[in-house]
Amino acid sequence: MSALTSVSVLHTDRFAAFAALKSELASRAEAGRIELAGKLVSSGIEALDGVLGGGLVRGTIVALEGGSGRMAIAARLLAQATAHGLAAVIDAGDLFPPALARAGVRLERLLIVPARSAIGIARAVDILLRSRAFSVVLMPAVALRTQVWARLAGLAQKAGALVLALGLCASAELAAFSATRLRCVLDRVLVSGAGGVFARLVGYDVRAHVLKHRYGRPGGNALVRAIERSDSTSVRERAVIPEGLIRCSFA
Amino acid sequence: MLLCVTIPDYALAVALLDAGVSDAPTLLADKRERGRAIALDGRAYDCGARVGQTIAQASAAAHGARVLVHDAARVRALWDYLLDGLDAVSPLVDGEEPGVAFLEMAGVPGAPADYLSRAHRALAPFGLPVRAAFAANKFAARAAALIADGTVCREGGERALVAPLPLRVLGVDPRALERLRLLGIRTLGELAALPYGPFVRRFGGAGATWHERASGVDRTPFLPRAHAVAIEATLFGEGTAEVEAQVVFALRVLIDRVCADMECLGKRAGALGIELELENGEVRVREIGLAQPTAQARAMLGVLRANLEGVTFESPVVGLRVRALRLEEAGESLPLFRSTDDLDPQTIAVTLARLEAALGEPARQARGVRAYALEEQFAYDAFSMPASFETPAAPAPQDDTPLYSALVVPQLQLLEVREIAVRVAAGAPAFVGSPPRAVLECTGPWRIEENWFSVPLVRDEYDVLLEGGALYRIYRQGQKWYLRGSYD
Repeated sequence: MSALTSVSVLHTDRFAAFAALKSELASRAEAGRIELAGKLVSSGIEALDGVLGGGLVRGTIVALEGGSGRMAIAARLLAQATAHGLAAVIDAGDLFPPALARAGVRLERLLIVPARSAIGIARAVDILLRSRAFSVVLMPAVALRTQVWARLAGLAQKAGALVLALGLCASAELAAFSATRLRCVLDRVLVSGAGGVFARLVGYDVRAHVLKHRYGRPGGNALVRAIERSDSTSVRERAVIPEGLIRCSFA
Repeated sequence: MLLCVTIPDYALAVALLDAGVSDAPTLLADKRERGRAIALDGRAYDCGARVGQTIAQASAAAHGARVLVHDAARVRALWDYLLDGLDAVSPLVDGEEPGVAFLEMAGVPGAPADYLSRAHRALAPFGLPVRAAFAANKFAARAAALIADGTVCREGGERALVAPLPLRVLGVDPRALERLRLLGIRTLGELAALPYGPFVRRFGGAGATWHERASGVDRTPFLPRAHAVAIEATLFGEGTAEVEAQVVFALRVLIDRVCADMECLGKRAGALGIELELENGEVRVREIGLAQPTAQARAMLGVLRANLEGVTFESPVVGLRVRALRLEEAGESLPLFRSTDDLDPQTIAVTLARLEAALGEPARQARGVRAYALEEQFAYDAFSMPASFETPAAPAPQDDTPLYSALVVPQLQLLEVREIAVRVAAGAPAFVGSPPRAVLECTGPWRIEENWFSVPLVRDEYDVLLEGGALYRIYRQGQKWYLRGSYD
């Protein structure tokens, strides 16, 4: 506290004092940062890694919440996992593998496990984690009891695997046992072509808000752009605002 | 000396055997849809149908003809059984092609007439028209069978035997056959009478083979088929097993025996067959696949246990049989597979078995399929362990524009198809759902047309952005609108 006092004495200007205080606190936070070398897994998205302090924590449950964009982020992680090993997806009947393949996922290394009931999904994830053969397991965020989430979290830690739970909103149990929570909100859509039959939805921007991070502070957000390959050079952006106000610009 | 056993028009004979006897002309097609005739019976041929015609053409020629479809797997499987039957006649059987087999009879006691009768007796239970003949080499033996069932060609009489046969028995291509006909050669005897040197100079290496065969000489080697090896262990009449631990103990004993046998023979198994006989007379048979062929008892037991998890028996087990299936040469030892990523194929096999036991359906892997309709753009196969985990080099960027360097790709998720309410304005969706939500952005339509030749599928697909930020793929089929997927 002596350093802080000296700062206030030296700088009479309030704004300058505030700036100095910020830098002081930042340097202290940097000094106290937990060494996570080898524990973090890059999400493969630079902006997201930035707000997550380097990436997602290996051996934990990550809750991906919200609407569009969750699966795009998960697909990026699956692509990274299948580049060197095996990954698994619990398919509740809505999986579209060609889109995963376009994101770089090697389908021959992706185990697809059909399961629809909550108990079936939990059992499947349990078996997959016990095998310790899958570095990423993607599952729907179904309603499970606290004990089940606790067991899955323990198994994920032992296996060193990343469990991605996708859902609209994490339940209280999942929120408690997940090490990271990200909420995806659609920011704008990207359309190529003039319109109608000549137009094509080529992607969207998603704002990923960090709701929880075991080794970092929540509150940050990253803009993630998911986009298809397109021959068209002009891409039109349409912002998505819940109130219904529409901005339109051309790039 | 060789015994040739042939079944004329073998594929057709098998199809007739399965379909039953009929007075109608019969033709065999390669497939049901847009197929062609690949074999005909005598009545269909007499009516004017010919091999190579489409089903429609052949049916038009032979009015009311019965069309049978070729089943290659069935034909091959039955042929294997026939060869097994011929093992009783000679230890060396060459099953050259389905329908033609050669048996080496040197050293087998008996006269040629005995061989012929033995061959007929061995194949009689199958109910197929069999022809057998005896000669010194493959070509002569086959020609003898073609001439008549039971023909015996004495050594040195091959040239005289084949002389009256037409040139087509040589399997000469039609153009060469036409050239030979223009030269006035119609039978093998006439061909054999030509001087060897000039004939070979004109017709090349193939001509040398034709000339030799026409002279009754065939240098085609005899290739005896490998005998099927059966490795199994059984436990019957040694009491009953009433609890899981007893069954597992018995399985462990049997698997140890099977693995010891495999080790002796230098084999490994790609699957296990298990047969459980219960006290009430019920017999349960299961075939359990292994991720990688193995001869390790521990891995096999793990897979078996995982498969038997959750299985209940109504009465005690009184008998067990474990059979090693899909045998292959041992090759490299399994631990070598761990070298790259420390991934044990057996771990995957056990995991797959556990998943199947827990969920009731197998885990799988997807592959892309070329199609227009979204739901047909992929298919599922049984999961197989990748051979290696080497990562290929990243593809070179094709363009410098930021679009091509994108790593994150929009993900479409297929929702359960259901009808939705859509209000259209100016030919495009304006409000979707109930209560209606305004469409802020709409792309499309893209016309999807498939299966025009059977059940036509015609629909117009749209991507719509709804107020509130939901992105959906919807389509119109006829006058109705359906929800197909959402962008996640």
